[in-house]
Amino acid sequence: METHSALPVGNLNMQQFCNSGSSGVMSSSLPVLPNTLEEKFPELPDPQHVPLEREIQRNPLPSQRPLFSSPSGFSPDLTFSSTLAHERHTNNTPFVSRSLNAGVSLPSTYLSNMEIFQVPNNFPKDPTEITWCPDSVQGMLNCSDGVIMGNNQIQNSSNKVSNDLNKQNEWWSDIMNVDWKDLFDDTTISESQPKVVYPPAQSSSNISKQQPQTDQSVPCHSGEVCAVTGASSSATTAAAKPRMRWTPELHECFINAVNQLGGSEKATPKGVLNIMKVEGLTIYHVKSHLQKYRTARYKPDSLEGMSEKTATQSEELPSLDLKTGIDFTEALRLQMEVQKRLHEQLEIQRNLQLRIEEQGKYLQMMFEKQYKSTMDKTHCSSTVEKPTTISSDQTHSTAKIDLPEAQNSSTDSKITEGFRQVSNKWKMSEVEPSNEKETDALTSSLPPSKHSRINDEDS
Amino acid sequence: MKFGKRLKKQVEESLPEWRDKFLSYKDLKKLVRLTSAAQPCSRVEAEFVQMLNAEIDKFNAFFVEQEEDFIIRQRELQERIKRVMEDDGTGGSQPSEMEHAKEMSRIRKDIVNFHGEMVLLENYSSINYTGLAKILKKYDKRTGRVLRLPFIEKVLKQPFFTTDLVSEMVKECERTIELVLPVADRGQSEQGGKGELVAAEQSVFRNTIAALMTMQELRKGSSTYGHFSLPPLSLPDLQLPSPIPILQ
Repeated sequence: METHSALPVGNLNMQQFCNSGSSGVMSSSLPVLPNTLEEKFPELPDPQHVPLEREIQRNPLPSQRPLFSSPSGFSPDLTFSSTLAHERHTNNTPFVSRSLNAGVSLPSTYLSNMEIFQVPNNFPKDPTEITWCPDSVQGMLNCSDGVIMGNNQIQNSSNKVSNDLNKQNEWWSDIMNVDWKDLFDDTTISESQPKVVYPPAQSSSNISKQQPQTDQSVPCHSGEVCAVTGASSSATTAAAKPRMRWTPELHECFINAVNQLGGSEKATPKGVLNIMKVEGLTIYHVKSHLQKYRTARYKPDSLEGMSEKTATQSEELPSLDLKTGIDFTEALRLQMEVQKRLHEQLEIQRNLQLRIEEQGKYLQMMFEKQYKSTMDKTHCSSTVEKPTTISSDQTHSTAKIDLPEAQNSSTDSKITEGFRQVSNKWKMSEVEPSNEKETDALTSSLPPSKHSRINDEDS
Repeated sequence: MKFGKRLKKQVEESLPEWRDKFLSYKDLKKLVRLTSAAQPCSRVEAEFVQMLNAEIDKFNAFFVEQEEDFIIRQRELQERIKRVMEDDGTGGSQPSEMEHAKEMSRIRKDIVNFHGEMVLLENYSSINYTGLAKILKKYDKRTGRVLRLPFIEKVLKQPFFTTDLVSEMVKECERTIELVLPVADRGQSEQGGKGELVAAEQSVFRNTIAALMTMQELRKGSSTYGHFSLPPLSLPDLQLPSPIPILQ
């Protein structure tokens, strides 16, 4: 729980960055083709230039990978991130200590997955559970240092506001993922294994295959390998290949490599791997990806899963002639409409969910701050604010709070309970009287009051 | 209970290979019920957390793999389109034109379905997230502990929930589709009745409709509406065709 207070800023910004980034992106795929496509598909102006265009967009990346260049909208993120980069560049130690928080808050998804294991750390009996021991973080950060230093272009962050934003997003998520890959590299993590924690040992051994190299790979720079390892270790996945998160850029690089080797049939995983020169990419990744690629190329219909099914299911489309019919395209349009709508709604919903959680976190922070400040106040002075109200609520409070008072954890939970109930009260249309009483009791009967009681008794 | 049913329905409507990848909501709920309200012990909580983590791993694995497939397929579709466009330039004779048209139809169908699948993956992510949030809320409610907030924060950062890439691919796909589908006059849309039924048979489409309906129902507003609840969903002008196919 201790790290959570450190999390907010970085994560919030991260999410905002990713979200708003993705919503703001308009990457050009077939940008300049005319909209009016007649039935006969007249020659489009530059059909061949299109892929070139995309390639051009991607290729300059290796040399000019702006780290955190972004439109002004992300400036808060910029400062956070660029200071991080800056520190990284200069000195190791401050990086470590700073990134005790930042490293944890760098949105490594599997980092967070690891943390999940340690959620139940408000059980006071298990002090070893407490989050990241500094050494493990140190180890992690050393590795990540290596990888990130490898991206030497990062430091030259220019304010390139461009359609690179899209690439940035992907690259950013790459970095996110790279970090927690490094995390797993550190075997010291496995030492801190309290009983309730999922043993990460196996996963760390899994990822040890992907020892990052510090030298930069030029051709496929855009694809920093995102190792998505199943942290659900145990015996089952002990020998499992680490999962990877592919990106279109990385795939592009892959295709180039394959073509260089003469096509998907001739290319071998090893050959492709060597050409691609992407840090952290293993032969397993390439092998499985190549297999998928081959299947996709040579059996496009079967891979478009549904086509086969629909062929058997729907008798309305018996012959291909029908497929050119107006009804058919209308059907497709309708389908598109529904799909688009669903997509829209999902996006909206997702953003909402993120905002809600952000807010919740923020509120909790405020609440805790308030609690702390009142705690300080009561510590400072022997007289407490509103002694009368508190004493009147004493019976209530003692009735409500059954948990032992000494433990901070339980009071923490009660605070959050109180907070949640308060916030629930705000939202709920019908106010339950018991709820109100409870809320009042809790908010006023929080530890400050207990302390005050003690003080009173003492004095 | 309601969510459980919705989820079940969604799962039933979903593509077969997806069916066991969804959240095991029922099982988790059972575990929560079994958790003693009086003294939530750390062992039970650990078990619960363990189960949740396993679920999350499941989501992540499936999601990332699907994502990879999508990346490959998108590229391939683009290749196909390119080839078809090019082809037309060279040939002009009748047979190739026919072939051309056929291939074009195939491409259109494929790309629309591809779009649908990607959106369904997003839906998969969303519905699993919702389920997780709900189950955590139930757990907290039952045991009085505070598992939810920190846990959900981590969930937010999981690969299966960071759907930005898929979202981007969907948008790109939409742009491509705009170009690939022939321009139709609006007048045709009324004749879409038959087409409606045709399309409804396709499982991707059905799944999509099911997803939209589920979403609508889930967000209608509940008795436990609270600070962390989403506002009701409004789809004012959406006419969802019935997924029940009527064969001619």
